[in-house]
Amino acid sequence: MEDYSDIKTQFDLSRRDLLKGMATATAVGALTAAGGASLAQASGKPVRAYGVTTAQLKDWGIMKKSLGVDMEFIGTDNSVGVFLRDVVASKLGDEVDIFIFESGTEDILGPKGIYAKIDEKHPELTLWDRTADDWKRSAVVTSKDGGQYGVPVIGNADSFGYFPEKLGVSKDGQDDVSWAMFFESDVTRGRVAYDQTWTYSLPVAALFLKHHGRVKINNVVDMTKEEASKVVDYLIERKKAGQFRTLHSAFEEQIQLLSNREIDVINCWEPATKEANKALGDNTVFYAYTEEGYFKWGHGAYVASQATSRDNLDNVYKVLNYFLGGEYRAHQARDRGYAGPNLDLGVKYAKENGWSKADIDSLTANQAKIDRKFAKPFVSTTTPENSSVMEDEWQRFLNA
Amino acid sequence: MPKKIWNWFVLASGNVWVIRTFVLFWSLIVLLPLMLLLIFSFFETKSFVTIYKPSLNTWVSLFDSGRFEVALRTLRVALTITMIELLIAFPFALWLAKGCKSRTAKAIFLALLTIPFFLDISSRTIVWRAILGQNGLINTVLLETGLISKPVEWLLYSEFSVHFGMIAPHFPTMVLPIYLAISLIDDDLIKASEDLGASPLQTLSRVIIPLSMPGVLAGTVFTLGPALAAWIEPGMLGGGFVNLLSHSIESAYTALRYPVVAALSAFTIVVLALLLSAVLVLTRRTASMEGLFRRMHQ
Repeated sequence: MEDYSDIKTQFDLSRRDLLKGMATATAVGALTAAGGASLAQASGKPVRAYGVTTAQLKDWGIMKKSLGVDMEFIGTDNSVGVFLRDVVASKLGDEVDIFIFESGTEDILGPKGIYAKIDEKHPELTLWDRTADDWKRSAVVTSKDGGQYGVPVIGNADSFGYFPEKLGVSKDGQDDVSWAMFFESDVTRGRVAYDQTWTYSLPVAALFLKHHGRVKINNVVDMTKEEASKVVDYLIERKKAGQFRTLHSAFEEQIQLLSNREIDVINCWEPATKEANKALGDNTVFYAYTEEGYFKWGHGAYVASQATSRDNLDNVYKVLNYFLGGEYRAHQARDRGYAGPNLDLGVKYAKENGWSKADIDSLTANQAKIDRKFAKPFVSTTTPENSSVMEDEWQRFLNA
Repeated sequence: MPKKIWNWFVLASGNVWVIRTFVLFWSLIVLLPLMLLLIFSFFETKSFVTIYKPSLNTWVSLFDSGRFEVALRTLRVALTITMIELLIAFPFALWLAKGCKSRTAKAIFLALLTIPFFLDISSRTIVWRAILGQNGLINTVLLETGLISKPVEWLLYSEFSVHFGMIAPHFPTMVLPIYLAISLIDDDLIKASEDLGASPLQTLSRVIIPLSMPGVLAGTVFTLGPALAAWIEPGMLGGGFVNLLSHSIESAYTALRYPVVAALSAFTIVVLALLLSAVLVLTRRTASMEGLFRRMHQ
């Protein structure tokens, strides 16, 4: 690491405001358009968040009704590059109270002081103590040095969607299907869609090879060059064997590939299978339980360090606490199929608010699904230390 | 443009201070960023952090990861598209400029050529997936008529589909400058050629083509540039199997690998500059970019 002795990082650059520009203009412009006065005013002000859109409620008015706090949310996509640029180079914390993103950014931005440590004893964080350690102490919200920089928001265990009759597995979707069906089965050859995002696709291939003892890998989400190289050699061999029909890159594409039956199996987001079933009929496509494990991801809510010196910190913690509560959990589980901490409170909320039996049963089933899937590896990250070599190796696969 | 203002421009363009100011301005907004780009390519990124210590590591990694091939593949695809467009656009532009006598028809065709500029390219491209896919229209028709026994796979997610998808969006940028150049050819010149006994082929090769070269050159530049930066068509129709520069750069960006982005961009700019220089040298006797504008003014 001697190279680091004389470097100037992007973080140093940001302090000199060299990159402060378009991102600030865009985000701040959007915030202004969303309405609302400066944050540096009296309490009772709305909470401003910047993060991945999947963390959003379909209608934040529900939260306002419950908490009396308004939310102004600026969405971004899943690109960690864009997110880091916006947060760091544009000092978005000057305008935004909460950042919501996939696991990994807290490892970089927490120790740098860009995220504030969570005040676990804050009086508004009433649900913290009852939240399971599996969620609140997970790698999604704690840094590598153990700092608590976030509150868990949502999460899921990603695998692949499939048509059971094509794979010859049970039609109730309850079988543990091996990733071998995805990567090397003759049954699916030429009928597999593989996501072309390296952070999403490379680790699941590594998991498969590691699980079956074919490659020695220490950490599938943060592989050394040698480890990543072996995984990519395997993937190139499968690519040349014609295993993959397409390498997809967008959520809409996932839905289209399933709905058109262009492929038989696809590593994708769970909501894509739900959308495809709307077109094809219930239980046509299943989201796999797997033999080896899952791409377990989570979104954390992280407090901008600047927010700790503003006068709406109580509201910020009210919102953090809301993410741990039943109302948010129930709506996220019903609308997106995503899990999160304190799902029992979600079930309780649904019962108290007259939700249908089908919806309540669905929440319970969601809990069972998550319990079953989370028992297996692995937890993803968006910021592996070996990102450069992994990305380079992935390019080798794409170019083969 | 009023003659007085034009004369002022002509006078000013000969003034040494105006030229110096322009060169300085041009250097600042174009050349300086390019120089910075080149310099940045000699740094590297580790764990999302750029290390400002000069090395060749980033350039070496371009070869190890196959990104060098991506740049060459992108050039090959872009040049192929440019050639295809030229072959289609030239006869069409010739017919539109000199063959089509109906003003209404001409106006309709010109309007149709501008339509691509007003429609979202993603929407136009995604339609082809439903037509070219294994369960798409073409395969369904071919299977139903018994012409094939199993779906043709290369229709979609192949270099063929990427080329196919790029033809329509890039057609206007090639055909419009050529149309403009041919329109400016005096009909009397063509008539004189015929009167002197030239065959239609001789008139085409000795009069029309040389005089339309400024348009061909402009069309080539306006088509090649966007084709090099194509993102939608390779993404939607290539199925990840036609990895071009834009996606490679995007992938590097996800890991905040600015030096890789800089190296790829610098490499492409150098190759493109060499390519355009070669074209300019080869066509120096018959065409120049300023020639088109000079003739427009006449």
